[in-house]
Amino acid sequence: MGNAPSGMPPSQPQGQDNNKDNKDKKAEPPKKKWEPPLPTRVGKKKRRGPAAASKLPPVFPATRCRLRLLKMDRIKDYLLLEEEFIHNQERMKPESSREEKNQDERSKVDDIRGTPIMVGTLEEIVDDDHAIISTASGPESYVSIMSFVDKDRIEPGCSVLLNHKNQAVVGVLEDDTDPLVSVMKLDKAPTESYADIGGLENQIQEIKESVELPLTHPELYEEMGIKPPKGVILYGVPGTGKTLLAKAVANQTSATFLRVVGSELIQKYLGDGPKLVRELFRVAEEHAPSIVFIDEIDAIGTKRYDSTSGGEREIQRTMLELLNQLDGFDTRGDVKVIMATNKIETLDPALIRPGRIDRKIEFPLPDVKTKRHIFRLHTSRMSLSEDVDLEEFIMAKDDLSGADIKAVCTEAGMLALRERRMRVTKADFTAAREKVLYRKNEGTPEGLYL
Amino acid sequence: MAERPAAEIAVPSQDPKEKKKKEEDKKLDTKANDVKDEDEELSEEDAQLKSELEMLIERLKELNTDLYRPALETLRTLIRTSTSSMTSVPKPLKFLRPHYPSLQELFETWSASENKSLFADILSVLAMTYSDTEPRGTLRYRLLSASLLPPTSKISEPGSWGHEYVRHLAAELGEEYTIRQEGEEAAPLPAPEAESDASESKSAPVPGTIEDLHNLGVECATFFLGHNAEPDAVDLFVELEIVDRIASLVDANTFGRVCAYMDRCVMLLPPPDDVTFLRTIHKIYLQFSKFPEALGVAIRLNDAALIRQDFNASGNRIMKKQLAFLLARAQIPIEWLKAPASEDADAEDEFPEDILDCLSNTQLSRHFKEFGKEVGVADPKSLEDVYKSHLETTRSGLSANVDSARANLAGTFVNAFVNAGFGNDKLMVEAEEGNSWVYKNKDHGMMSAAASLGLGLLWDTDVGLSHIDRYTYSPEEWIKAGAFFATGLLNAGVRTEADAALALLGEHVENKSVPLKVAAIMGLGVAYAGSHREDLLTLLLPAVADDGVSMEIAALSALALGFVFVGSGNGEITSTILQTLMERDDKALDEKWGRFMALGLALLYVGLQDASDATLETLKAIQHPISRQAQILVEVCSFVATGNVLRVQRLLHLCGEHLDALKEKEQAESAEGKKDENKDEKKEDKKPDDTFQSFAVLGIAMIAMGEDIGAEMSMRQFNHLMHYGDPIIRKSVPLALGLISASNPQLPVLDTLSKYSHDHDLAVALNAIFAMGLVGAGTNNARLAQMLRQLAGYYYKEPDCLFMVRIAQGLVHMGKGTIGINPFFSDRNIMSRPAIAGLLATIMAFTDAKAFVLDKYHWMLYFLVTAMYPRFLITLDENLESKPVTVRVGQAVDVVGQAGKPRTISGFQTHQTPVRLGTTERAELATEEFIPYAHVLEGFVILQKNPGWEKEDTMQM
Repeated sequence: MGNAPSGMPPSQPQGQDNNKDNKDKKAEPPKKKWEPPLPTRVGKKKRRGPAAASKLPPVFPATRCRLRLLKMDRIKDYLLLEEEFIHNQERMKPESSREEKNQDERSKVDDIRGTPIMVGTLEEIVDDDHAIISTASGPESYVSIMSFVDKDRIEPGCSVLLNHKNQAVVGVLEDDTDPLVSVMKLDKAPTESYADIGGLENQIQEIKESVELPLTHPELYEEMGIKPPKGVILYGVPGTGKTLLAKAVANQTSATFLRVVGSELIQKYLGDGPKLVRELFRVAEEHAPSIVFIDEIDAIGTKRYDSTSGGEREIQRTMLELLNQLDGFDTRGDVKVIMATNKIETLDPALIRPGRIDRKIEFPLPDVKTKRHIFRLHTSRMSLSEDVDLEEFIMAKDDLSGADIKAVCTEAGMLALRERRMRVTKADFTAAREKVLYRKNEGTPEGLYL
Repeated sequence: MAERPAAEIAVPSQDPKEKKKKEEDKKLDTKANDVKDEDEELSEEDAQLKSELEMLIERLKELNTDLYRPALETLRTLIRTSTSSMTSVPKPLKFLRPHYPSLQELFETWSASENKSLFADILSVLAMTYSDTEPRGTLRYRLLSASLLPPTSKISEPGSWGHEYVRHLAAELGEEYTIRQEGEEAAPLPAPEAESDASESKSAPVPGTIEDLHNLGVECATFFLGHNAEPDAVDLFVELEIVDRIASLVDANTFGRVCAYMDRCVMLLPPPDDVTFLRTIHKIYLQFSKFPEALGVAIRLNDAALIRQDFNASGNRIMKKQLAFLLARAQIPIEWLKAPASEDADAEDEFPEDILDCLSNTQLSRHFKEFGKEVGVADPKSLEDVYKSHLETTRSGLSANVDSARANLAGTFVNAFVNAGFGNDKLMVEAEEGNSWVYKNKDHGMMSAAASLGLGLLWDTDVGLSHIDRYTYSPEEWIKAGAFFATGLLNAGVRTEADAALALLGEHVENKSVPLKVAAIMGLGVAYAGSHREDLLTLLLPAVADDGVSMEIAALSALALGFVFVGSGNGEITSTILQTLMERDDKALDEKWGRFMALGLALLYVGLQDASDATLETLKAIQHPISRQAQILVEVCSFVATGNVLRVQRLLHLCGEHLDALKEKEQAESAEGKKDENKDEKKEDKKPDDTFQSFAVLGIAMIAMGEDIGAEMSMRQFNHLMHYGDPIIRKSVPLALGLISASNPQLPVLDTLSKYSHDHDLAVALNAIFAMGLVGAGTNNARLAQMLRQLAGYYYKEPDCLFMVRIAQGLVHMGKGTIGINPFFSDRNIMSRPAIAGLLATIMAFTDAKAFVLDKYHWMLYFLVTAMYPRFLITLDENLESKPVTVRVGQAVDVVGQAGKPRTISGFQTHQTPVRLGTTERAELATEEFIPYAHVLEGFVILQKNPGWEKEDTMQM
């Protein structure tokens, strides 16, 4: 099969063109009596990047230099030539013939398809033009495949369009990506930017170096002769801004941003989890450059242990697939991974080894300076009365995380609101802080025996 | 082309930083809005640094001149010692940025002194942060600083400010230089004037003369070279248009990388620059006594004087032998190496025997046969070994072969190509008396069969002639003709003292019989391809000029001359062919042979670029449509493998014309009653001649070949041509594909050709099949072989296509997978002109396959012989005896311009020499036990024992 001469999918317009050419010049005697049919190949071709026709030659070296520029120029020149040529040809083409004929053929195909069209699943391909399909309602049936269906796109398990009467396959549904994955794609950038992060300067810098710069300026790494990091993991106690930073990255970058929560990858059926991971990375690669953000990775990334529970094992398998995607046999293109977790110590060592995750960025509790910054960030839009001295709270020695500070500010605002005051007073803040601290410690038992 | 450099500079190396800075600024701004005093958000160290810097600036603003110096010094240290990540601006610069304008003003008030110079130096660094609003500030202050210094003290090197600064400076240098060049062109403004008002206005012109710029450029380049940034150095010099000066800067560590980088650029540079580059590279190589490299460059320049100089430059005898091998591979005429008689008559005119041996490829046959034995392919292969028809998918009962004459003829070619050079095939050479394959053919088939002896005994000048000899007495004219041609083929690329080809064939050029005459002429052409021998000129030229001979003879004589004088631009031949084209009547020129006449002319100009202008002009004067064909051929031949995009564009325009549609329109118009003389003329010959379009398609391949990017991009063009083109274009596209990737079976090309080989238009399919043969020539590519077997089954009822499938199969197994036809060698850098000639001539025969190859002129397939060369690597010791060493062979990787010392091959395997190398493969020695004389491990390589080498086990003590 692999050696079949029609290795390339026949491009539709060209084929038609050939036919027409032949019709035009009737001069050629119809001497072909019998032609062995071209061996058809069914099933999707292994996609390796974009189609060969549209791929441009790679340009080396990646460093910025004149040679690269010259090569790029050369490619550009050729592309311009191509554009010009096609433009001219399209213009010269007699308009009448093509459009109408296409239209005719199209409507004919539509007729054959008939309405309504049903949707079914292809169970098995019997031979070149017969297959077994199943529909949601009824049993499986043996039907024919219409000749105009693109065989390259048919594969067992794909959704097909069926004629409503004889249930013949009349088309293939593009089931490009798992809908679960397409949901992960971030269409609207979050509003949080780097400016909204108090402190964390080192962390911002590290994440910029390892996620943003490799995508925007790969040549810097090339010049240095190193491979840019593949991914980072953000860890630290809750509320220290891990997710916030990821949001800021998403806000800043023009790369595709895919975000997942670890628990999303746990699926009901066996094998669905790993499949989802694969899909995720495939989509990421298709839309490269892209950034994959996996929040709460500990949901699937915990250390492996002997488990008898099928569910546990499935989760572990999901993680194994993730391991493979991160640094497996196939090289990924411009896909960067950001993970976030509270409990880095529970993660499987294989997951965070260098090569998979090259940088571990810790998010500590804010220090005084950062606290000040965070307080200021959150109170900048609040109307505070004069007696509020934030320094007092800043200097207090309680383990306030960024999220706690936000909670204090919000709580203070709520208290003021309750009393229908337009200003937040110091008393509000003190009360709010008490409350937040109490809540915070609520979970943990104060003594051994309650 | 003029705006290229300008556009280049528009991408300053600073770009990323600038952007980050803006971000930073924005951040600063937003923060400033949010927070009242921004000081507070700074860490303590930052605040301290900031106040310190401010204090220093205050001090500068004071009147106390004593404090200036220490203040400036401290500033400098602060800036220099600051480090930061690549994502942000160094802190001192960030804090100093707001003060830049005031500092500038302050600077103007100072009187010239050493301090001022130092100040200018610092300002120059600060100007980096203002490059978006005040371009070239860095350069300006730098030059000011230099000019303010007293001549005794020396300005600090630009490198002391760090890499980024030097880069910035270099970018600004280029920018400034271009502006000046343009300014000078616009209005010749004297430089001193510019200097005088330099210091007045803020965006004032940069002071200093062009010479200053150059000097600064040299300084920067020196820094670059010392810091592994050779490309930057070269780029800077290109911008300053002083590339030749780089030769004086490079040292033993850097020259290799510099040359490699420049080498890669050559293919992509516009015409005058590329020669400058090559000459510079040549100079550098000579400087470091790298003779093989230098000679390679000289061959690419096609400069006889330079080649001779390089060849004689080395006193080492063994090195000379190695150079001789290189020259022999490129088939440089030996005459070039001899000093011109007029200059110094008493210089040694004769080469020592052993060097002459190397020069004339005498040992090629012996080494090739040994090589064959070594890789285990010495045994002859039968036709069935190649066809493997038991694997074909033929239907039972239908397998009866329709046309056995065709099959036998195909067998001839397959046998010839597959067993080429080994001299032991069963059908011809070793055949028993009277049982030779020749007699299985008829008429013209016999000629090809007899000629196949030449291929079977290729390069074997000793034994071969005696084998052929018996056929030359054959009563059958065709056999005799074939034997003559075989004599020529046998001597292709090999030279002997006996000069057998000329001696045997010379007299038959005047033979009455057309086949004999043609065979003799073409035999001579092939045997002496690229030799530029004057005596052949006198022998062959009369036939071209003679009005009495048929067009066939004239055209083939012209072609033979084209072979012999390929790339010489010989004026005498040019004028004769032009004369013929003018004088011959239209009917003769209309013949199918016209194209070979034109090709003969074109071959004279292979690689000569603009030198063909005069010829092109003359051709324009010719009325006949052949003029257009000839013009295209001459043009593409002169620009072969240059990657010249403008030419490709022109060719594409030609391909874009739809002659049929045009004609129809014209006819419609004339029917309306509008009469025009031109149209009448066109209507007379019914069908407008569209052959030129097919040449134009080939031309695209010719120009784009030899350069990877162009080659790959031209594939896309071919795709479009196939889509939109007329039948004649569609027919030529597969040939162009074959030409561009000869002996280089890349999967995409194979897939495309495989698609075309099933085309409805049989002519397209036929050419596609042949192109598959070309693409796989001598590779034994299994996938291709499988495809061809499938095609054999597919076309079993089409004798023409089947014939071609067989030939393609023969080509794929050419020399049993040891002989390739790629015209580029020495790491695909040097183009072999005879090889180009051979390839082109063969393909030319396929532009009208029905009239040539499928008719009586199938022997034209043998033109490929000039392109055939064993793709081996043989290592020799100093006595030219084969010496097995271990080498690693793998896919070549382009490592130019990469940091560090990456591997040049990937996916390698270790072998014992001799080994065979694919087109895109490269070899390197596995151990350092030997040092090769040649720079590229290809063909014959002489090794020298490495005196410093120790065995590994002794090292592990």
